[in-house]
Amino acid sequence: MTTTESSDEFTPTTSDEARDFLAENSAGAGRAIFPVGGRTALHYGYAPTQPGFAFSTLRLNRTIDYPARDMTITVEAGIRMDELTEILKAEGQRLPIDVPQSSRATLGGVLATNTSGPRRFGFGTMRDYLIGITSIDAAGKTFSAGGRVVKNVAGYDLCKLMIGSLGTLAVITQVTLKVIPQPEMSQLLWCAAADWQAVEVALENLLTSATRPVALEVLNAAAAHEIAAEARLDLPSSGPILCIGFEGAARETEWQAETMSVELEAAGICDVAVVADAESLWFALTDFATSSDEPLTFQANLRPSRLVEFSELATSAGVSLAAHAGNGIVIGHLPDEVTTLDAAVELLSPLQALAHEADGNLVIFDCDESWKQTIPVFGQARQDRALMQRIKQQLDPRDILNPGRVFTKNAMSAAQ
Amino acid sequence: MPETATISTIPAQALQALRRIVGETSVLSAHEQVLVYECDGFVIEKNTPDCVVFPETTEHVVAIVKLCNEYKIPFVPRGAGTSLAGGCLPVGGGVMIALTRMRGIHDVNLRDHYAVVGPGTVNVHLTQHLKGTGFHYAPDPSSQGACTIGGNVATNSGGPHTLKYGVTVNHVLGAEVVLPDGEVVQFGGYTEDNPGFDLTGLFVGSEGTFGVCTKVIVRLTRDPVAYRTMLGVFETVEDATQAISGIIGAGIVPAALELMDQGIIEAVEPAFHFGFPLDAGAVLLIEVDGLEVAVDGEAAQIVELCEQNNAREVRKADSPQQRDLLWKCRKKAFGAIGRLSPSYCTQDGVVPRTKLPEILKFITEASARHDIRIVNVFHAGDGNIHPILLFDERDAEQVKRVLLASDEILNRCIELGGSVTGEHGIGVEKINFMNKLFTEADLETMEAVRIAFNPTGLCSPQKMLPTAGACGMEHIEKSHPARRAAL
Repeated sequence: MTTTESSDEFTPTTSDEARDFLAENSAGAGRAIFPVGGRTALHYGYAPTQPGFAFSTLRLNRTIDYPARDMTITVEAGIRMDELTEILKAEGQRLPIDVPQSSRATLGGVLATNTSGPRRFGFGTMRDYLIGITSIDAAGKTFSAGGRVVKNVAGYDLCKLMIGSLGTLAVITQVTLKVIPQPEMSQLLWCAAADWQAVEVALENLLTSATRPVALEVLNAAAAHEIAAEARLDLPSSGPILCIGFEGAARETEWQAETMSVELEAAGICDVAVVADAESLWFALTDFATSSDEPLTFQANLRPSRLVEFSELATSAGVSLAAHAGNGIVIGHLPDEVTTLDAAVELLSPLQALAHEADGNLVIFDCDESWKQTIPVFGQARQDRALMQRIKQQLDPRDILNPGRVFTKNAMSAAQ
Repeated sequence: MPETATISTIPAQALQALRRIVGETSVLSAHEQVLVYECDGFVIEKNTPDCVVFPETTEHVVAIVKLCNEYKIPFVPRGAGTSLAGGCLPVGGGVMIALTRMRGIHDVNLRDHYAVVGPGTVNVHLTQHLKGTGFHYAPDPSSQGACTIGGNVATNSGGPHTLKYGVTVNHVLGAEVVLPDGEVVQFGGYTEDNPGFDLTGLFVGSEGTFGVCTKVIVRLTRDPVAYRTMLGVFETVEDATQAISGIIGAGIVPAALELMDQGIIEAVEPAFHFGFPLDAGAVLLIEVDGLEVAVDGEAAQIVELCEQNNAREVRKADSPQQRDLLWKCRKKAFGAIGRLSPSYCTQDGVVPRTKLPEILKFITEASARHDIRIVNVFHAGDGNIHPILLFDERDAEQVKRVLLASDEILNRCIELGGSVTGEHGIGVEKINFMNKLFTEADLETMEAVRIAFNPTGLCSPQKMLPTAGACGMEHIEKSHPARRAAL
């Protein structure tokens, strides 16, 4: 984020300190505030339109309460994801959300960006695990919603509102999550398909599979090559790859891996490798979303039935892509050859058109800031945008938090 | 503070205009006709709407909402009226928009695992429609034979299977909504991760205060291959709750984990003849589902944990017929309560799961203290209790004791780190608990969000937030003495 690099930075050590700082800022100059955690996703959205303070949550990283037998945990939002994972692991539990760069990424950042990965097919996303939240708004007002119990419908569900709000509504300071048991076993099948048609057939067959995968990834050759290398595994990567994950009790997981192999064979996919020691492959699949220096990274969201068509088109344009196929989500990196805005626009146009036609969208994660003047970062305008702006206006009337990140003039003109 | 809705009887020309919008026979306004709509499943407070309209299309709803805005008449959406916290009580009258005729199943797409339904679609009708496809709609509230999916969206309904599958919000991909000013918007959609705020997630559970839902895009879930359904019989409620704690603590997430105490068994057994032991202190209805290869292992582990916690026996529902009967007993338990008393009030508190023994002990004490019989049937795995207070609503003194006992139980839930509602909603019933659960700042923020959707407060006034249109209280006191008493 270029604008804040030269700006001041504030790193509170307690939420009271955080609150006081925001209240004083609001009462005084009302300078812009840019909430940051592990700084792994600062390229999301539009560039800020004003200079201001980077507001780091990194020292708000305590565990407040972990009643493991209730299967909930309350922590401060600045906790790094790897640290949270370790805490939960000690009790045989986990938060089943795959997060790239998890040694750096913070829980608050993951919530603000609604980050997810391969296992969302089986386990859902942050909205399925966040049960309580405390945030501080731009005026320094601390507010909470939800609670510490797994089922609760008291009050408006501001947890949902805060997820994916990119730090534009309030700074998330404390979070209560529902967690689940660690699986006894985790395996991935790496299945080489002859062509995209074979992938489509396999995906359709999966609708009636006797198994219940927790991840259903489709990779093109470029992505498969990169992911296999990252995982230090010798796996085929000449054509499209289906990568299918199973987790659960050992007997259950092994039975599913075997059954799936047989089902795939019947559908004409015979080249199936079972990756039993799957940790590094899960990691590589997850990190693909941010692992590159490529000129532009996007996420397309589509109806799952249109995913292969989209992937084939993107592959022919040189995009390296990995898809959460069961969810209709494609992460793509543009090839190095795309060095100009014109080239990027030309490559993206048919992909954006297809995504829109498939009731979805194409969102830019990362690209040269100057390109964002032309490429609509949040894709096609949605009709609920005016209501979103009214909410922003209600919660942050002076536009102090992340000004320009989501609601910019550019975004509006792109919307028209 | 938003401009407060003018609460008055509806002018004749507005009524005429409503008839022009939906047709003569689709507006009820005679007293004896609207009397049916004076309350939902929360019978302690009642008030009739000025009229009830039955739109059949989104355009109808838009026209009705715009008309209400023109005349500044409050309006409240209603599904089947099975909600239990007064969520569709027409506080101070106004126009009730009954959505039961918007019940089409418009589209089922298995490849993309969604269905598009009208808000008036009865929950179980979708399940029946999907039978044989290998997919189902997961949320299954006990009232699913009557309640509508639009109503489920409004209250973020749960049900016995939420323990593993989640509540309504986990299964709604999008919604078409007529906002309180008459604008039609679509939240979410047929795809996941739509850019911007998750207004679908925010809308679900907003109890009709953010607009009128006219279409719902729901996620479909694959059917489990196998079930193992068990009935653990315990001498005491204490043992049963310890067993629950043991099961959850062991890292097993059953599909359902429900507790019925002796009081409710006494009502259910003569009604359905399942063969429940009438002398047991409590039974646990436990279901695991998933792959055939997995369920036996989990079931065996559960049996062992029940036995460790002094279960007298653990029975298995071996046939699908037995399983169906067992679930029928559970889901229709409320219907059987008529055998015990003329009226009942179902409470809906939540505690951390490990605090279940503590809250149940407290309920027993509260029952004795106020001389109100209380029976229990609830979603034990989630820590979501449903004490049912039995009384006779014709006896004002009993009603008072019921309210007192309810309040004490819910306050105790808060003290134990829980909530006053797990799935029924705040409605009008629990408005007074909001400032116990939340700070003034929390409520201000919620109010700010409500204003973004519903700036005039005409849509479902006096619900959910204690601040919502509080300056209109004098109208309510005049038109609705029971409400004044409750407040």
